[in-house]
Amino acid sequence: MEGENHKTKAVNLLRSRICDPKFIFNDSHSPDTNYSKLKFMISTSVTEACNNSILLLGPRGSGKNAVLELVIQDLFQQYPDSISVIRLNGLLHCDDIAAFKEIARQLCMEHQLLFSKAASFDDNSQFMVAMLKECGLAHKTVIFVLDEFDLFAQGKQRLLYSLLDAMQSITSQAVVVGISCRLDSDQLLEKRVRSRFSHRKLLFKPPSMEDSQRLLMNVLTLPIDSSFPHDYVLQFNGKVQNIIQDGRFKETLSKYLNVDSTVKHLLRFLFCAVSHMDLQTGFLSQENFEIAFSSIQRQPKLECIKNCSILELYILVCMKRLEVKEQSSYNFNSVMKEYKSIHDSFQTSDYYARNVCLRAFEHLLYRELICFTDNRGHSLSVEFRPVKLLISSAELHQGLGAFHSCPAILQKLMDREG
Amino acid sequence: MQVNYMDKDESPQIPRRMTRSSASSSASTSNNVLAAKVNSFEPLTIDDLLVGGNATSLNDIISNFPGRSNQILEIVRLLGPLNSPMLPLFVYGGSSTGKTSIILQLFRHLNRPLVYSSCRTCYNQRILFESILNQLLLHRKDASNGYSNAKRCDRPSDFVNFLREALTNVVNNLKEKSRKFSNKMTHGGIGNMIYLVFDNFQLVREWDKSSTVLPLLFNLYDLLKMPEVGLIFISSTSPDTFYSNMGYVEPIPVYFTDYTECDIRQILLKNQVNQKLYSSFLDVALLPLCRITRQIGELSTSLKPLYEKYCEPLTDKGAVPNEDMKRRLFSHFKPHVASSLSETFKVSSLPSAEVETCKEKKWKGNPKRLQQSEEMGDLDFHMSTSAKYLLISAFLASRNPATLDASLFDSKGGSDNRKRKRKPSMKVMEQKESLEEELLMKGPGTFPLERLLAVFQCIVSVADEPSDEEEQNDDGLGIHGGNGGLVSDVLLQLSSLCNANLILKGRSCPIEGSTRYRATISEDLALKVARSLKFPLSKYLYRR
Repeated sequence: MEGENHKTKAVNLLRSRICDPKFIFNDSHSPDTNYSKLKFMISTSVTEACNNSILLLGPRGSGKNAVLELVIQDLFQQYPDSISVIRLNGLLHCDDIAAFKEIARQLCMEHQLLFSKAASFDDNSQFMVAMLKECGLAHKTVIFVLDEFDLFAQGKQRLLYSLLDAMQSITSQAVVVGISCRLDSDQLLEKRVRSRFSHRKLLFKPPSMEDSQRLLMNVLTLPIDSSFPHDYVLQFNGKVQNIIQDGRFKETLSKYLNVDSTVKHLLRFLFCAVSHMDLQTGFLSQENFEIAFSSIQRQPKLECIKNCSILELYILVCMKRLEVKEQSSYNFNSVMKEYKSIHDSFQTSDYYARNVCLRAFEHLLYRELICFTDNRGHSLSVEFRPVKLLISSAELHQGLGAFHSCPAILQKLMDREG
Repeated sequence: MQVNYMDKDESPQIPRRMTRSSASSSASTSNNVLAAKVNSFEPLTIDDLLVGGNATSLNDIISNFPGRSNQILEIVRLLGPLNSPMLPLFVYGGSSTGKTSIILQLFRHLNRPLVYSSCRTCYNQRILFESILNQLLLHRKDASNGYSNAKRCDRPSDFVNFLREALTNVVNNLKEKSRKFSNKMTHGGIGNMIYLVFDNFQLVREWDKSSTVLPLLFNLYDLLKMPEVGLIFISSTSPDTFYSNMGYVEPIPVYFTDYTECDIRQILLKNQVNQKLYSSFLDVALLPLCRITRQIGELSTSLKPLYEKYCEPLTDKGAVPNEDMKRRLFSHFKPHVASSLSETFKVSSLPSAEVETCKEKKWKGNPKRLQQSEEMGDLDFHMSTSAKYLLISAFLASRNPATLDASLFDSKGGSDNRKRKRKPSMKVMEQKESLEEELLMKGPGTFPLERLLAVFQCIVSVADEPSDEEEQNDDGLGIHGGNGGLVSDVLLQLSSLCNANLILKGRSCPIEGSTRYRATISEDLALKVARSLKFPLSKYLYRR
């Protein structure tokens, strides 16, 4: 009972570490990290009571948000009374009305004021300017966090303009932090906005291979304290060390990170591996990582071809033949014509009635191996709407090869034309 | 068709449909409990977020779903032990591969709270948001609150605020509960994780013209920043069909493959009375059908009547077949397989018993005719005679070029004396081919109402004139009494044909301003209809 308990506890600990971005990005405190730079920028503008605007740029899952959260958390501890944070997200508040409303709501929450839902756009924007002035007078820095910054740059950019314009006055004291995965976000800004923006940018780069390995070590080793039995921890950490040092593992890891080397991507992999950990033994093993790798790196289209029935494969091959013939557009009827001609010349055993083929054709549409070329012809029935293949002929070829009972004639037809 | 199969396949305690609907409407417990709850207006508690019913063991679930043990174990592992946080999951696989049932059964087994919402029943973003919030806020729509929602919420921003609030509440409740629980017992708590399940997620792509909902839901985990919330997306299409230029951190994929033939066999065998007999039936029937489709729902519908055919020669359906009997049954059964391969599925308008007797009668009446050809000749639905004529005229108007109407109908039966005089040259042949190609590609043409009425009047007048074909006059059309009556009657028929989807009504043409129609019926069906009227359709059909 007790033994089971600490093993599940170990899994829980690892999983909560992986799901907690603050833990993942916490280890970097050397002076040239983004964390230190960002902290320096924001804390100077808090202490020197000036305005500032910063862009955090980097691919998705590289920890922009997490680092900012860490910085804000630290600043809250240092200057508990002189910061308030307003968080906006481009996905939610990209239209100006919603954005100002949200700002007003959060400001009201911060300062224990009554928030009126009925307040108009004008009211809200004036309220914001007034609040900024008040906060400036009280030497309180308002930090605006604009996640998905590029989405705020759509349309008239009224929010950005009024925010940055309000910051031009001497009394106000605010920091705007934009977070975006578009590296050209600052180019999206209008001239009047850009001129008011102080162009500080922090670039978040994916970690190097060495950093990734250090991160792995950091995440996967258990702490040596009273919460786990001492020898279990030692054994566990030893095994983890062995796995990470292993050549085969390194190969898998680099294959995985070649696709996308951001931290979040790595964490998905770790999550899978940790959840495959055997609770009987209670240790991570090389196989866990192998399984995780194969279950995350999927080839959906090939899997899809593997699920097709023979008739569906025939239709795919017919369509591919039509594409090779460079027929500009084709529909079910022309596919059927091709199907019939194949049957006529090879006398296959799989020749089915038209309605049966139509159903198979609809299955293919449903599987999204093929699709209609346009969305216009809704008034036409399925047979007449032009279609196209969503898989390349190489994929189809590979899929047919992997299919366990693919008729030889289909292979032949593929080889002949392709 | 799916329902049939589901009932068969599902574990006996709860039919899945009920679980689904109850889960999506009020996330309540099993059927009888649900009924009781609706009657007595007890407030919902947090326990109502659990999937109700008797707890099943993991082994039961695995044996209930043949061929799914890998997926079941994988999901269990990814969900992890009690109270362990989770990255979002993306469960995908073809239709009727058991995605939803397995998830719901697993949650019942694990006894953890979940909020289930299907993007099919919650068909737009507002309804989806409100359904999730209703469940989380333990709100039940009933007469006392005028069937209103707990929150009105249209915008994503409001949704996320409400959701965060509601989730925090629920999670706090759960924590409170598990703290109390842990004092009493060490095992069996419901934990403090809450899971949001989005079923039929592939449909979201279609309501997402402004492309905000999809990125929102995919980024929900990062937006909420609550480790106690687990997200599960269930979709019938693979993750690569969701890519947008917005981007998101991909969820963890879990793939449900289609059933292999071996699995299908096991599933079909599961609820059969006479396993041996059915298995010998599957030996002969399953393989050819599997070449066409491997969807279990479709297979089970087409296998059901076949099995009846297979058993026909048997007097005792409980008999265990031996080799000799198998051979006998097979030889009797063989022709039926071939015919079933060429039909998809059939819904007859008559109740099945009636159809049987009907067939019987016809069988006796003209024993020489094969059953197949008899089915071919008959229409299996009823239509008034004028509707049939209207349908034929719509078909003609769709197929024939408008310029030929005059020559086809003026000289009556004109088409057949308009023979080609000389051998067609190469150029003409080519032209013909390209025209054929065009017909294949473009489909039936459109026509205005006036043309339809003109063709209708022509063919009706042709049909009315006494000809060598007998009882032509019995097709009383009642159109002699003035044109006004005709038009209104025909318009009524036309609209009912449109409703039956035999004729499509297009948008009005921007230049002419009149509505255009298009006949969707195939030539076979048109010929059948014509035959039932004894109308010489082929005479009027322009062959290119």
